[in-house]
Amino acid sequence: MEQPLEDMAPPGFAEAYRTHSRSIYYLALRFLSDPQKAEDATHDVFLKAFRKLEQFRGEASLRTWLYRIAINHCRNRQQAWHDRHVFPNTDDAILENAVAETDSPLRVLEIKELGQQIQRALDALPAEYRLLLLLVADEQLSYEQIGALTEQSPDAVRGKLHRARKAFTVLFKKNA
Amino acid sequence: MKHQTKLSQEQQQQQHAAEQQTQSPSAREFASAEEMLRYDAAHTTVPPAIAQRLQKSIGQTGAPPRSWWRNLFGL
Repeated sequence: MEQPLEDMAPPGFAEAYRTHSRSIYYLALRFLSDPQKAEDATHDVFLKAFRKLEQFRGEASLRTWLYRIAINHCRNRQQAWHDRHVFPNTDDAILENAVAETDSPLRVLEIKELGQQIQRALDALPAEYRLLLLLVADEQLSYEQIGALTEQSPDAVRGKLHRARKAFTVLFKKNA
Repeated sequence: MKHQTKLSQEQQQQQHAAEQQTQSPSAREFASAEEMLRYDAAHTTVPPAIAQRLQKSIGQTGAPPRSWWRNLFGL
């Protein structure tokens, strides 16, 4: 099996890529809603990390640092896209009324359609909710780390996540 | 007669449920949005092309200061 980075980059970087690339790619994929953009973003994030390694002080974990680069990169890409397109407002009524059946299980009949259904639900969410859900899905991140990444308190993260979960569940069932 | 009819309905429901299980082997329930996203992430494959592009880009960039790698990875 080919491991192209092994021969080119220092051993630590190849290991970091193997450990964290799936999480960074998944965040970019579901946040940007485009596999090609996600591929470009993942490449750019790791290249930026490689070039700015001397700025990493070890105060945060490497994973958190990579997430921070990825979030900034994805937000910039999304903003550039929004600037060129008319974007419909999220249906606020759906989010406001997202109170029913939120504790019931989310049933997926065909696993192969799961990704598409998730993407449709995430696309309909406000970007902040989408990002919080994607970050909290990473079990290695604490509420404190998510708060630091999104520049808010852990309590604010918990409150918004509560609403984000409810909205996601309603949208997922609506789009299923 | 009514008893027979009810029994028949229950049998039909059981049979229907059994058929559904047979027909949808991939059906799955998730307790939360996070659980679903974790499952989705675990089944997402990183395109190999990214590593190849990185290799090329890093080759054009050059290696970072070696001292950094010692500090971070204890090399």
